[in-house]
Amino acid sequence: MGENRYFYSHHVFLEDGQSKDVVLPEGVHLDGTTLSFDEGKYDLHVVIELHHDGALHYHFANNTTVNLVETRKLADNVKFTRTFKVDENANVNIFNENDSVNHEAIHFDDQGVVGSDSSFHLGYAELSDGSLDASYHFILAGPNANMKLRMAALSKLEEKKHYTVNIEHHAPYTYGIMDNYGVAKDAGSMIIDGIGTIKKGMHKSESHQTNKIMVFDEASRASANPYLYIDDYDVQASHAAGVGRMDENHLYYLQSRGLTKRQAMQLITYGYLKPVIDVVDNPMIKERFEKVLGKVGA
Amino acid sequence: MSVLKINNLHVSVDDKEILKGITLEFKTGETHALMGPNGNGKSTLLSTIMGHPSYQVTQGSITLDGEDLLAMSVDERSRKGIFLGMQYPEAIPGVTNSDFLKAAINARRDEPVRLFDFMNNLDQAISELKMNEDLAHRYLNEGFSGGEKKRNEILQMELLKPSFALLDEIDSGLDVDALRIVADAVNKMKEENDMGLVMVSHYEKLYQLVKPSHVHVLVDGEIKAEGGYELVEKINNEGYEWLVGKQDNSDLIEKLFGFGGK
Repeated sequence: MGENRYFYSHHVFLEDGQSKDVVLPEGVHLDGTTLSFDEGKYDLHVVIELHHDGALHYHFANNTTVNLVETRKLADNVKFTRTFKVDENANVNIFNENDSVNHEAIHFDDQGVVGSDSSFHLGYAELSDGSLDASYHFILAGPNANMKLRMAALSKLEEKKHYTVNIEHHAPYTYGIMDNYGVAKDAGSMIIDGIGTIKKGMHKSESHQTNKIMVFDEASRASANPYLYIDDYDVQASHAAGVGRMDENHLYYLQSRGLTKRQAMQLITYGYLKPVIDVVDNPMIKERFEKVLGKVGA
Repeated sequence: MSVLKINNLHVSVDDKEILKGITLEFKTGETHALMGPNGNGKSTLLSTIMGHPSYQVTQGSITLDGEDLLAMSVDERSRKGIFLGMQYPEAIPGVTNSDFLKAAINARRDEPVRLFDFMNNLDQAISELKMNEDLAHRYLNEGFSGGEKKRNEILQMELLKPSFALLDEIDSGLDVDALRIVADAVNKMKEENDMGLVMVSHYEKLYQLVKPSHVHVLVDGEIKAEGGYELVEKINNEGYEWLVGKQDNSDLIEKLFGFGGK
């Protein structure tokens, strides 16, 4: 890591599947590339560096409460696969920070299964330098499984970023919501496909999604596509999707108070992307997020 | 002393001329009231001074102490000391009041404001204006009532200390108590900072609490009458009929229905 700082005193640093620096609390086990959490309450920072394709498997046992930050750094063309198994009545919050600097596109593949009465909250801060292709696919497998996913993504300087986010309801009384917010600037391009699927018989389930991309200039491209596949009548579903420019009236208001156009755009962008940092309560997340946004001039 | 001079100003929106040759002079320490029926150009004038992009100046000039204000961007005008308290302030999601106010204050300083000083000034303004203490952490005007938005405009004015404050219907949406609080704050700013004030309002109540030294009446894009406070009283008693002539609704009928007017 560039900065030798961890978000929590308990941490795991894995480089190409090798553990480099591991300080784990009792009840959390690292076996190869599998991290398992026994029943209990934990805070953990996981740092991943990959120069070749790699994987990481998370297993959260029944009744576990976890706040986790994962920072990743991938080299060109690398694919990173993760699996999540959230058992029953667990409460798991994960903030994912993509710190990669790559010239050739990198690939993410997340797959997760959430058990009954569990709550699984995911935040993706996607402010990395370089193109990527990401597929996030989660299954709500038990009644009362609850999943909230929030993403803040920035594509700039001819980067191409494509995200496919899919939440499937395989049990009744399940709740899934995703809020994907993107910014495309300086000839960046971004595609967000949001997919909500409720299978037949999964009554009283709810699937909601918002996909929004703000486009800064003529040279940038964006598309936000919502898909809802609903095969049961007794459910609630909603989607909102939009691609647009920054609101001129918002800019005027901030400029009328002395902020330059650039400062006003930065403040609006920050406000628009910032909710992602609320997924896990840790002051360092905010600090880092602000620093990265400042660095890229957004 | 600063002087804001408007000379023969013509302004159009979408090729329709709204202001038809306005000449006015505002000095710091003075309090001006701009009156006139709705839709006759009062807000257009204030927004043009601030630099709203929808208004095209087709002729005339605005200068601040001899400098060409029209050549400046909106943010430069603000940093030069112009403040517009807006009729409909924007709500901006995700941007907290405190982040916004800090950025606005820092925009007019070389060194960033000390957090301690900033919080002190903010707390003081919040308590003066009797606003909720959680204001700093709330998103800018989001979910604010009409009255809260107006108070938030005055709070910004207090923190930014402009040399000219233009207040566009700052009293609309305020109840009697809130109006008094806002008026007290404005009067205090005038005393302490020798601020120049230009107010647009339809109501005598505001003008009773913040007494204008100069009154101008704008009708159909032109200044039709000027005077002192007695003009406020005359308009309050007699309306605008003596200035605009007997109301003829044929224009409005034509506009609404496209026929049946003149």
